Amino acid sequence: MTLDWLDAFLITGLFEVVMVIGLALLLHLQLGLARIANFGVVGFWGIGMYVFGVLYVQVDWPFGEPWQFLACAAAATVVAGLAGLLVGWLVADLDTDGVLVGTLGFATAVQILATTQDDLTGGARGMGGLGFPYDIGRVKDNEFLWLVLVTAVVGAILLYVWRVHRSPYGRLLIAVGSNEPLARSLGKPTFRTKLWLFAVASAAMGFLGAMYGVMVRFLDVGNLGVGVTLAAMVGLVLGGTARVWGAVVGVVLTVGLFDIVIQSYLPLPREWYTQAIPVLREAAFGLTLMVVLLFRPLGLLGDMRRDRLMGKIHGR
Amino acid sequence: MVADVVRAAAGPRIHVRGAVKSFSGRVVVNVEDLVLGDRPIEGLIGPNGAGKTTLMRMIMHSTSLDRGRVSLLPPGGGEVVLSSLPAHRMARHGVVKSNQVIMDFDKLTIWDSLLLAVAESRYEQPQRILSERTVFARHEAEIRRHLDFFGFGDPSAFAMSAGEKKLLDIVRCLLLKPTFLLLDEPTAGLPDDLTEKVMTVVRELAATGTTVVIVEHDLNVIWNLCDEVHFMAEGSVILRGDPQSIREHRTVVEKYLGEGHV
Ligand SMILES: Nc1ncnc2c1ncn2[C@@H]1O[C@H](COP(=O)(O)OP(=O)(O)O)[C@@H](O)[C@H]1O
Ligand SMILES: [Mg+2]
Repeated sequence: MTLDWLDAFLITGLFEVVMVIGLALLLHLQLGLARIANFGVVGFWGIGMYVFGVLYVQVDWPFGEPWQFLACAAAATVVAGLAGLLVGWLVADLDTDGVLVGTLGFATAVQILATTQDDLTGGARGMGGLGFPYDIGRVKDNEFLWLVLVTAVVGAILLYVWRVHRSPYGRLLIAVGSNEPLARSLGKPTFRTKLWLFAVASAAMGFLGAMYGVMVRFLDVGNLGVGVTLAAMVGLVLGGTARVWGAVVGVVLTVGLFDIVIQSYLPLPREWYTQAIPVLREAAFGLTLMVVLLFRPLGLLGDMRRDRLMGKIHGR
Repeated sequence: MVADVVRAAAGPRIHVRGAVKSFSGRVVVNVEDLVLGDRPIEGLIGPNGAGKTTLMRMIMHSTSLDRGRVSLLPPGGGEVVLSSLPAHRMARHGVVKSNQVIMDFDKLTIWDSLLLAVAESRYEQPQRILSERTVFARHEAEIRRHLDFFGFGDPSAFAMSAGEKKLLDIVRCLLLKPTFLLLDEPTAGLPDDLTEKVMTVVRELAATGTTVVIVEHDLNVIWNLCDEVHFMAEGSVILRGDPQSIREHRTVVEKYLGEGHV
């Protein structure tokens, strides 16, 4: 395989874009359909990453790859899902402010735990020792294959979300988001619905976190800041929270533009990369969020069009 | 006290005991002992602010009770304490209410709204993302029957007018197959022909064993439809009787009809 056109920067940049698209799609189910503003995305993702990392590195597994990866990733997914269940249970009946504080607080707690439990996680020093569940040659080849795999996973998430829009489940989520008391009066268990939504979305976020851990091979508590949540949130809001493709379009335009085009192709001074760029990135994302909310709150793709969808699938 | 009037093919009844609700210190509902549904179609009337809507919401447990108890008495015997169940469990027990104030899902079309109402919960699970066709096939005929009956336009569109939303609310209730249906001013804002259709539906439901309780300001609907009327004022039901006797009762005439409600 000749991958000369792909440099290491581009592979990491693409990986970042694809992963954030995955997170934004999951956030879309919560924010776009059920109108739950989950500001703790990084927490679920981070739990997945760290549970995976700790199990992978600290446990002496009796079997080799890919089983070791699969076992650890499965555990990470389950733990993230359980965390989702717990957080969902805490915030499901709160108003928007309560959900914001609750989910942000959760994400902060995850970061603090990862930092303080340093005998397990390496704390602020970070944790190495992760690797790909295969070896096909050069590092670049391994990374490229992992990029392909995460793209397949995110493709599956996209397909799932697309189907949700065309299913009774999606309709229930939209109903819960747009008039919860009315949904309840129709016999819909709205609390349980939100709880399971949190569990399922968080589990998938955790799985993506585990995949990220494999890609970077070194876990850094610095990754557990607000950056990932912000990226997913800004991308989704820019593209359109209510649309399936909103997450894709928005994340490509934000993370894609910033992490790939600006970082890889603009002739920026070397020393900017460690200091200035991450700060610039958060500032640019924050600004984008404000501008979009002010001038085009429904995002580039606009509002959900159930009338068109229903006309197409059920007719008049 | 459970009244002695029992109808032939008895439908379910609802028993409200010592139910109190106040808002910011003001008692809005205070119902000592009330049985609804001894007769197939009952009316609940009274001046604005009497607490009719609040009482209905308390029965549905969409408003919490300060005190008291609401139970469903199914025709076969037994008792279901509704006031200790969460609001979403009412529909499963056949207890359903339409809303006085327009309630709608702003993002959902007419199809959506009605399919939502009929969809069984086993199809609404996160892993059942391929079940739309099944749900549609199971219920299309039934939904279309209602749409045709009330003369809805394109069901893939959103409900636009207030009247359409009001009707949609009623159709959603019908699709839940209620055994005890509460209607809170169902015909307010509807043209005469649609009011007539709503009344027809109510009669059909009652004939098949559903108990219907209607709050209505259009008293012609009440006198035409009801077998029994409850008169509510200042939070309590102070009178009950057949339409004729309520219509002629001195208190009702003074407190209510005298105000120009006839
Ligand atoms: N959520 C609420 N908060 C405060 N007051 C309320 C609320 N709901 C109803 N009320 C008051 O309770 C009284 C009864 O209202 P309602 O039950 O709607 O009467 P009705 O349906 O008989 O016209 C009114 O005075 C109304 O202002
Ligand atoms: Mg009222």
